Amino acid sequence: MQNRPSGFGNPWLQLGVSVVCVFASELLLKRGASEVAAPDDAFSWTGINGLASPLVWWAIVLIIASFISWLYVLRCIPLSLAYPLSRVVDILVPLGCWIFLGELISTLRWCGIALVVFGLALVAKPIAKMEERL
Amino acid sequence: MTFLAFLFILISLVTFVAAQLILKRAMEFSATNGMRNSYFTSRVAIGVFLMTVSFFLTLGLLQRFDLSYLYPFQGLSVIFITILAAVVLKEKLSARLTIGSLLITAGIVLVSMS
Repeated sequence: MQNRPSGFGNPWLQLGVSVVCVFASELLLKRGASEVAAPDDAFSWTGINGLASPLVWWAIVLIIASFISWLYVLRCIPLSLAYPLSRVVDILVPLGCWIFLGELISTLRWCGIALVVFGLALVAKPIAKMEERL
Repeated sequence: MTFLAFLFILISLVTFVAAQLILKRAMEFSATNGMRNSYFTSRVAIGVFLMTVSFFLTLGLLQRFDLSYLYPFQGLSVIFITILAAVVLKEKLSARLTIGSLLITAGIVLVSMS
């Protein structure tokens, strides 16, 4: 991690960029999918009709951006450090659902989300080590 | 939740995890053998195809369910990796992994009941 690039090339900044892109893409995908939702149509299970929404295309752009910055992060930061940190998105997404999408999250669902987040926090490091070997 | 929805959630997760592993293997292979060979191209093609399947299934699910409902299910991918590590790498599961996996499972059960 010596000679670490500064400015926009800073890997920690790129980790933040990657997380924000994933977060925004999830919310955009949900908005886009809701726009074109056709739950009575069996074909819509394939999700292909989602491409009719421009928001879905913006989400795809963000997914690609997050992928590129993630690859860059992995060049500079070990996976067993970067991966646990990237899991902060698991807290951001439910909060985003509540704040930006206006989803009514019941107490039961909040409790479930909290358990998943605790579980992920616990396993993130060992999983990252495993992924390095897999 | 219907059986069909649960099936699609599972397929989208399994295809995603499989794609990650296949792409990783392909990249490792390319580090020593280069990218101009049929093994590398076919693996990358399979990986990209599986990721595309996973993406569109998620898009279909998002038309029917809240994001706050679907998102926690992504935690299941951790459990798939744990199982894979135990099977492929013959790793013994640490207490930390077991407790974490149980918490994730319990959380997903609560979310699916909500």
